[in-house]
Amino acid sequence: MNWWLLSPEITLVAFAVIIIFLDLAIQRKGILAATSVIGLLVAMVFAVGLWDKTGVTALNGMLVIDRFSLFFQMFFPGVAALVVLGSTDYASRFSRFKGEYYALILLATTGMMFLASTGELISIYVSLELMSLSLYALTGFLRDPKSGEAGLKYLLLGAVASAVLLYGLALTFGITGTTHLAGIAAAVKGMGNAGENPALLMAIAFIIAGFGFKIASVPFQMWVPDVYEGAPTPITAFLSVASKAAGFAVLVRVFTVAFLSPGWLSQDWAMLFAVLSAVTMTLGNIVALMQTNIKRLLGYSSIAHAGYIMLGLAAIGSAGGGGLGQNGILFYLAAYGITNLGAFIAIIAVSHRLDSDLISDYAGMSQRSPLLAAALALGLISLTGLPVSAGFWAKIYIFNSAVQEGFLWLVVIALLNSVIAAYYYLRIVKAMYVEEPTSKESVASSTPVKVALVVCSIGVLYVGLLPGAVLRLIEAASILL
Amino acid sequence: MDYWAGYGSIALFLLVALIFGLITIILPKVLKLLGLVVRKPNAVKYTTYECGMETIGPSWVQFNFRYYIFALLFLVFDVLVVFLYPWAVSLRGGGWAAFTAMAVFIAVLLTGFLYAWKKGALEWR
Repeated sequence: MNWWLLSPEITLVAFAVIIIFLDLAIQRKGILAATSVIGLLVAMVFAVGLWDKTGVTALNGMLVIDRFSLFFQMFFPGVAALVVLGSTDYASRFSRFKGEYYALILLATTGMMFLASTGELISIYVSLELMSLSLYALTGFLRDPKSGEAGLKYLLLGAVASAVLLYGLALTFGITGTTHLAGIAAAVKGMGNAGENPALLMAIAFIIAGFGFKIASVPFQMWVPDVYEGAPTPITAFLSVASKAAGFAVLVRVFTVAFLSPGWLSQDWAMLFAVLSAVTMTLGNIVALMQTNIKRLLGYSSIAHAGYIMLGLAAIGSAGGGGLGQNGILFYLAAYGITNLGAFIAIIAVSHRLDSDLISDYAGMSQRSPLLAAALALGLISLTGLPVSAGFWAKIYIFNSAVQEGFLWLVVIALLNSVIAAYYYLRIVKAMYVEEPTSKESVASSTPVKVALVVCSIGVLYVGLLPGAVLRLIEAASILL
Repeated sequence: MDYWAGYGSIALFLLVALIFGLITIILPKVLKLLGLVVRKPNAVKYTTYECGMETIGPSWVQFNFRYYIFALLFLVFDVLVVFLYPWAVSLRGGGWAAFTAMAVFIAVLLTGFLYAWKKGALEWR
């Protein structure tokens, strides 16, 4: 066993333990945020170092190191580092348990990294729980009634979802007799075209339901608005980007490795994802129109984006393999991740000063804080999918993958949805730039928050203007073992 | 089929468990019927517990929620012990790799214990 293959995850766990001990030993809590950022960056460096050692399995196939998993082992620590930077101001609200906050973020990230790089059902479940349990605790971290309600809701609904997922995994094991994805693929292929196996379809439906909860797909989206509103805002950002990306990573791996052939099977779930995608994006966008709270609005918008990303899953199933659909998902996750983080970090900075998440309080923000307003506007433009931003290429890429597979009707629905979405995103931009401010008091923010904002904004513009480098990275990353 | 053969030992285990249970229930009755044992009732024999305290008052009382911390800590070390036994048995074959793995595992668990201790979770306040 080559332990270097596990180095990114080992680093994060070690740093989580170090942070817990530091928290017990020292009084100056500022060091904790710095330590966790260093840990996350070290984990990223280890992942980059593994880039050439791909195509390896370890621990009896439990761990799969391919470019796909390494892409996510760079993605998740990057997202977590930005979230930590963005929460430095916000963390002053936590009277106690500051060390636990950072340690839990690191542990959740570890779970996500394992989730993207595991090729076996039981370890998928364990890594999912490592991620979820940390996130449940983080959601209720503010210890006020709203945050507590959000945490409890997330915990209870999440427990039901993971029970359903476990049932699906158990059925899959019962039908195929193995928990390894490659073994499942062989067993499912062996069924041939003898007709549809109802138990297998049921297992797949349960698995989609279980992961559908994580990615916030309709009809498993009802927890999103309440949890997003109640959770500490940095954790809302973390949930909407990293937890969703982890769900998509594991969905892509499970479905492209285990359930791709025979052909009728992948056609079946391709159509299922296509319908879910249409319903999800439509519901997310229409309900988002009526929101007055910006966190709830971005919650519904994140549901809509899950719908767009599912276009890629439909394309994968229809094509009978990774290819365009898979590249589209990875590119969309990267672009959406950096965009949404930018928007959320701006919101963190504003809501920390104003103690309000109402859209009406964003009126005239361009005069009160030009940097925050510009970063938030850029994020919203990119979420809309207008040119010169990362969201534009992401949408084009993933819509193209669906059109190539004959999902023209679905792409038409997606385009209509993008137009609806433009209304509520640009309404906030209008409020910030056109309307008169309610007060002249400027909205200041600390240096780490500014650094995180600038990193996100540069990322959005870089991907928007020069998408080539990221596209090449993603094409290299789409080789699954 | 090989796959189902794996369940044979479980079926056997179930069967033995069932027979064992039945025998322990039936044997005293049979012995009584045969007249091999005599019935000697007395007050102590009919108490709820032969050893242990009788409960005072209703048993449906609310427990202080502080107990859950002790329950959690107990669980942590219970799981540790469950893992230690098979590890100890196979240590000879596993060598230093197995030793290191368990050392890391115990170190991680001890972190949790030290954390709880330092945070005052073990004190009854």
